[in-house]
Amino acid sequence: MRLHYVLTVFRKEMLDMLRDRRTMISMVAMPVLVIPVILFFMGKLVGRAEERSQQEARRLGIAAQVSNPQIRAALEGLDLPLRTGLNPREAIERKEAAAGVVESALPDGRPRVELLTDRSNPTSAVTGEKIRTALTKLRESQVREGLKSANVPVTVLEPFALQQTNVASAKKMAGNLWGSMLGYMLLLLMFTGGMYPVIDMTAGEKERKTIEAFLASPVHRLEIVIGKILTATVAILVTAALTLASVTFSIRSENFSRTPEMKAMMQTIPLDGQNLALIALTLLPLAILAASMMIAIALFARSFKEGQSYLTPLAFLVIFPALMGGLPGLELSLVTALVPILNASQLIRGILLGEWTVPVFAMTLGANVVYAAIATVVATRTFNKESVLFRS
Amino acid sequence: MIAVQNLVKTFHDKARGSRHVVDDVSFEVREREIFGLLGPNGAGKTTTLRLIATLLKPDSGTAVINGFDINREPEKVRSQLGFLSGDMGLYGRLSPREILTFYGRLFGMGEAEIGRRSEELIERFAMKEFAGVRTDKLSTGMKQKTAIARTMLHNPPVLILDEPTSGLDVPTARTIEESILEFRKAGKTVLFSTHVMEEAEYLCDRIAVIHEGKIKITGTMDELRAATGRHRLREIFLDLLGLPVLTEN
Ligand SMILES: Nc1ncnc2c1ncn2[C@@H]1O[C@H](COP(=O)(O)OP(=O)(O)O)[C@@H](O)[C@H]1O
Ligand SMILES: [Mg+2]
Repeated sequence: MRLHYVLTVFRKEMLDMLRDRRTMISMVAMPVLVIPVILFFMGKLVGRAEERSQQEARRLGIAAQVSNPQIRAALEGLDLPLRTGLNPREAIERKEAAAGVVESALPDGRPRVELLTDRSNPTSAVTGEKIRTALTKLRESQVREGLKSANVPVTVLEPFALQQTNVASAKKMAGNLWGSMLGYMLLLLMFTGGMYPVIDMTAGEKERKTIEAFLASPVHRLEIVIGKILTATVAILVTAALTLASVTFSIRSENFSRTPEMKAMMQTIPLDGQNLALIALTLLPLAILAASMMIAIALFARSFKEGQSYLTPLAFLVIFPALMGGLPGLELSLVTALVPILNASQLIRGILLGEWTVPVFAMTLGANVVYAAIATVVATRTFNKESVLFRS
Repeated sequence: MIAVQNLVKTFHDKARGSRHVVDDVSFEVREREIFGLLGPNGAGKTTTLRLIATLLKPDSGTAVINGFDINREPEKVRSQLGFLSGDMGLYGRLSPREILTFYGRLFGMGEAEIGRRSEELIERFAMKEFAGVRTDKLSTGMKQKTAIARTMLHNPPVLILDEPTSGLDVPTARTIEESILEFRKAGKTVLFSTHVMEEAEYLCDRIAVIHEGKIKITGTMDELRAATGRHRLREIFLDLLGLPVLTEN
């Protein structure tokens, strides 16, 4: 293999690729435009749904059949209209009330409060939760007063204090949230980003009949296919870099966080220089693996369309291990480090959580380097098969 | 210049099983000769030319091009060749000048030489106004010129042209036919395939008729006439294929 012939092929393929609109759309537009738009609308949608449900609750109010003044006062404290004269059950079903409260009497004369909600309706469920909190508070304060007047120390009510503390730092919380998404997005977009250039320089070259004169030049087939793998690898890495940059920018941007807490959390997402370098290192062999694998497969196609129908299922195949690797349940281990795609997805999550270890990192990297090497050999062998190149 | 010796190529496919698509083909093309491989569709012309250009490997037999054996030194063989097919095979997103530069590098030419030679060909084929335009924006005639320039760029002693005029109208096909005659004038050896009688009769010094992978006859027009007792190439051709010649009465 002569390097300068490989580079000649690489330079030509890059030039050809940069002038292909389809490729530029899948490689650049997807990560740069689609990701922020999706994240933006996701944020907006979640916020909008909350807002709408609050508005709805304020409009519908609570269907109340309550006579106890203290309970009534507690409900009024919720700042939601109290409606009387409705059958609460029917009103909720007909969406005329968000929730219902019905007071009756226990045999000993104490009030019995029944809280009615429609759990399948988020507005109703949230309103019900608010009512329950208000009434629980009321009950606690009544108990406190009762104890006080009976001269019993309040400590009876609270023999010990219970406080729940989340030991995960904000950074870790953010890592957990984004760790499950980032690897998945990166891996999926790497495959979709590499798809068009790969099809164009394999099946496309066959369809347009440019391959014959190319192969009739003195350059070796190995040099041609390595030049093509190199080009596809660059395309895939560019897609990954743009995705990473796009995600980083989006989550840092003001527009994506509804609340100050969310914003504060977003700012802590640990995409610093070291982590970005670790992620890049994780993705490098995977990009070569993806490029070689896609080239080996797309070479069998005789037309661009056929190439698409071969590679699209591959992108779907990538989704599962990529998603699984992002799930919190599966522990990062030396065994899962051997499963391609899954291992990278898991490692990226681990990096964001600060939970990766050197052996697992090395194992993942090593395994993917081996897979990439195997795929490269398969691609070069495939390119040397005349039954594939001149398939009719 | 080209010595083809007992070439055999078998293709396997599900529909038709194993077939000798090129079946013991031998012929010789002399230096500065225009040699036509004439045959109907599916006769094995493309496959034969691909074997000679080392795009495919033969099952047996060989060919020697300008002293280089296709089995032993395929890269050397390719460096002796200019290869062109009717599809032209131009990269649509590259300009003629970019295509020439790319092919010059593939043929191991130096940058200065590529520049000099490209400009020479651009001048000669009057390609100046469109040499910087993407080829998918060019007319068929312009593309044809670009393809010829690419084939001649490295000044190969041997040209292999696979149905170079297929799909072209008469004026555009004429450009190609002119180039073929010019190649000979420039001292080159031309091997081309066609299924058009007039083209073969008009251009070729010698002709080989191929049918179902076998060479039926080789020779000059006069030699073919003497061997078959027919005058016109069309009649000779139909005779060799075992088809009746249409007669008027
Ligand atoms: N790669 C291939 N696989 C199987 N059969 C092929 C292949 N290439 C050509 N053929 C078959 O071989 C025969 C000769 O083809 P070809 O050399 O292209 O003929 P021609 O160029 O004279 O029209 C045809 O029947 C064709 O279908
Ligand atoms: Mg043909």
